[in-house]
Order: sequence, then structure tokens, then C-alpha cells
Amino acid sequence: MDRIVRWLDLLVHLDRRWIFILIALGTALPILFPIGFKVSITPSAQALYDKIESLEPEDVVMVSFDYGPSTAPENDPMADAVLRHCFSHGVKVVVLALFPIGGVTMADQSLARVLHDYPGIKYGTDYVNLGYKSGGQATMKQMGEEIHNVFPVDRYGKPLAEIPLMQRVHAYRDVKLAVSMATGIIGEWWANLVNAQFGIPVACGCTAVSAPKYYAFLQSGQMIGILGGLKGASEYEKLLTRGYPATAPIYARPGLYTAIKGMDAQTIDHSIILLFIILGNLAFFLGRMNNRRKAS
Amino acid sequence: MRFLRLQLPLFLTALAGSIPIVAFFWSPNGTIVQTTKDWLEKYMVIIASFALLLGVINVVQTNVKKIERRQAGWHYGLFLLAGLVGMGTCGILGAIQVGPFQGIGFRPDGSRTPFQWGAEFIFNPLQATMFSLLAFFMASAAFRAFRARNVEATILLIAAAVVMVGRIPLGESILGGRPYLAHFTDWLMNWPNAAAQRGIIIGAALGAASLSLRVIVGIERSFLGIDKSE
Repeated sequence: MDRIVRWLDLLVHLDRRWIFILIALGTALPILFPIGFKVSITPSAQALYDKIESLEPEDVVMVSFDYGPSTAPENDPMADAVLRHCFSHGVKVVVLALFPIGGVTMADQSLARVLHDYPGIKYGTDYVNLGYKSGGQATMKQMGEEIHNVFPVDRYGKPLAEIPLMQRVHAYRDVKLAVSMATGIIGEWWANLVNAQFGIPVACGCTAVSAPKYYAFLQSGQMIGILGGLKGASEYEKLLTRGYPATAPIYARPGLYTAIKGMDAQTIDHSIILLFIILGNLAFFLGRMNNRRKAS
Repeated sequence: MRFLRLQLPLFLTALAGSIPIVAFFWSPNGTIVQTTKDWLEKYMVIIASFALLLGVINVVQTNVKKIERRQAGWHYGLFLLAGLVGMGTCGILGAIQVGPFQGIGFRPDGSRTPFQWGAEFIFNPLQATMFSLLAFFMASAAFRAFRARNVEATILLIAAAVVMVGRIPLGESILGGRPYLAHFTDWLMNWPNAAAQRGIIIGAALGAASLSLRVIVGIERSFLGIDKSE
């Protein structure tokens, strides 16, 4: 007993750099050598997929890039997957960014990655990039009245009035679905401001750490779907490759970071953390038992 | 003086705060309420942009003081200011299109402007690196802090462990491919979690509404930089 307690005590006082090394290996190795764990679909991801599937080819989806480089490994795959779904299904996309610290760069990069595989998609008729606008809630509220006032020109300086797609998109009433790829509070505003006041369906692709708060909006019907963290993104990738087999080779391409590949690293890292938590608690209880035994 | 310092700002605040509330419930087209509401919403976007300027002034003031007084970590402040001036200059010159600084995004030929280059190759990797470090600290902190010391800590520990396993494919693998843990995780998120989150959201919204009301009727005056007695 004493030997076990001593050993576990050693573990409890383990230099944290050993934990860092294990986490580094647990992250790097599955990315270099993918394992391919099975991904199951949750109803919240399925709901977003079904909503886009239900849209007609001329319908417009608004995709807002409300995140920065800090959460890109989680948000990028879900943004890419939603854009690929829209382009594969044939719906039109209006892209914008409301996050000040890198949102517009994330939008540019995501569009570049996705459009590489959709040479037939034309700027101005199939999609538009409005760029970034500061103001948060004020901007979102104003877009309910007239998008052309908020974004007089697009990301490349072209007046919106000269862009064919934007000639029929003036406010939220012209949009069938808004999807916010969010970190922080902006995703919440899409639910409690845009959905509540303008009534358009809203969905959110959020980081895992902020996902719990979005379930309240999902349950109340203020959001029609949620992609929670890397897991949500991997579910969407699976739905997309199942529904549109032509996208499967894109996700199988070596060197392309995808959520399904990222889930391998997340699985290993969660397992390492859980193992350490179990061992830490075992040491805690055995140490307490040992102290009581010695005291008695 | 009292009029300019107190009464006029309070009147403008009450007016600007009341009109959107009235317009939300009653604003037929063409009425003065509708016109003023539209006007206020347009100006809200412009005024909100000034928050960025305020932020820049605050960052400069704080860091200049830090550098002058050689406080701990002053050299980080130096880097911060260098980044602010560098990117700010690229942004401003890009906006007025001077020399190679044609815009702040991509040029028509697809090449990057200096601002875009800085954002893409300096800022983005730095921010991603900072956030990535969290994984290591979270793992270490979870190992040291997650102890079942009492009932509350035990409930938290069990819920966290279930969600962690339920959110990875391993949860299904250890139960022979059956998604029981994933379903239980969904239940935890959809019911106990959503109930608690909704309580927090409603509480915060009521707090925000009551604070807004205090500002509109002039009880809360701290935003004017004066206390209640004035």
C-alpha cells in the first residue's frame, strides 16, 4: 500500500513539463499519422445540414466570420464545410466579418481554400464577400434595414449596387439563413438580436468552450442548429461527404487540415487528460486513506 | 455650465435611449419616430467605430507610461507599440493608397498589400500560437485541480469527464460502438446545462435592462464622470 501511495504521490508531483510533452506528442502524432476514429452525428449538426438541404438554388445564405486566428483550428473546418455545402447545393452565399481581430482574413482564407475546388462558382452571382464592418450589434441591427447602407462597397471596393447578387439582397428578409462562425459573444447576438427581431433562421458554428451557452438558444428555437467545436465540424464534414460524394476526395487530400483529422488529436489529448485526472484522484483518495490509517 | 455638463447630456441620453424603445413597439413608416430611429441606427455604427480609436489611445497611454517608468515587462510594451505603429501606418497609408500601400487587402493582381502581409504572416500565427499554449496549461491545470474533494466538486468532475469522453469517438469505442455516452452528453448539454445557461442569460438581460433604464431616466450618471450628488 505504502509503495503504491509513494508511486502515486510521485505522479501527483510530476513536473508539468512531462504533461506538456505528452500533450505535444498526443497532438502532433495523430496529425502526422491519422488514425481515422469513427464520427457519430448529433441532432444539432444534422439540423443545420437539413436546413441548407431544404433551400432552393436561388436562396441566399449569409455566412458571418466572427472569429479570429486564435480559434481557427476549430472554426475553419466548420466554415469550410458550410461553404462547400452551400456551393455544392447551389445556394448563393453572402460572406461578411464582424470580428475585429482577423475575421476578414479568416473569411478570405476560407473562401480561397473552398473555391479552389469549385471553379464554376462566380463572384458576384454565386457569392459575395462584403468584408469587415465594425460596430457589432449596431451593424447587425442596421443590416435589418439596409445592407447597402452598412456595406456601401464589397471587400474589393466595388459598389454593392453593381453586384448582381446584391441587387436582390438588401436586408435580412432577403436571406433564408444566417450562419455565424463565432468565438466570443457575436454568435449570441445573431440569436438574440437578428433572430429575435428580424425572424430569420440562425445557426452557429462555435468553439467547444463556448458551445454550452448556445444550447439555451438551440432549445428555445432561436437557433436552428449548432456546430460545437471540432466535434461539430467533423460531424458536418461527415454529413457533407455522405450527402455529396464528390466532396469526399477533397477531404481525403493529403496535407489538408480537416476536423475529422483533428478529432484524432482531440481524442488522444482528451484521453491523456482523463487518464491524468483519474490517476490524480486515485492518488488523492489513497493518500487520504493512508493518512487515516496511520492516524488510527 | 451645469446645463452643458449635466442637463444637456442627460436629456440627449434620455432621448437617444427612449426612441429605439418606442420605435420597437410603434413606428409607422414616415413618422418622426421612424425617421429618428433610422437616423440613430446609422449613427450608432459610426459612433461604435470611435470605440476603436478610444482603444488605441488607451493602449498607447498605458504602454508609454509603462515604458517611461521601466515597469516589469516594459520591453513587451515596446514591441506592442512598434506593432501598433507599424500596422497602423500600413493601414492608414493603404487607406489613402500611397505608393505600394494600395489598400489593406489583396491587390487586383492577387498579391498582398503590406497590411495584408503583416496580418497574414505575423499577426495570425502569433495569435494562433498564443491560443495553442492554452491546451498545455489546461491539461496541467485539469490534472492538478480536478479533485473529488466534496459533493459539488465530484458532480462537476463526473459531468466534465462524461462530456469529455462523450465528445470524442473513444466514448463509443469503449461501449462497443453504441453511442450511449454521446447521447448522455447531449442530454447533459440540452437539459441541465441549457437550464443553467438560460438562467444566467435571463439574469444578465434583466440586469442590462435595469441598468439601461437607470441611464435613460438619469439615475445612473457615472458615464458622465460625475457622482449622484451633482
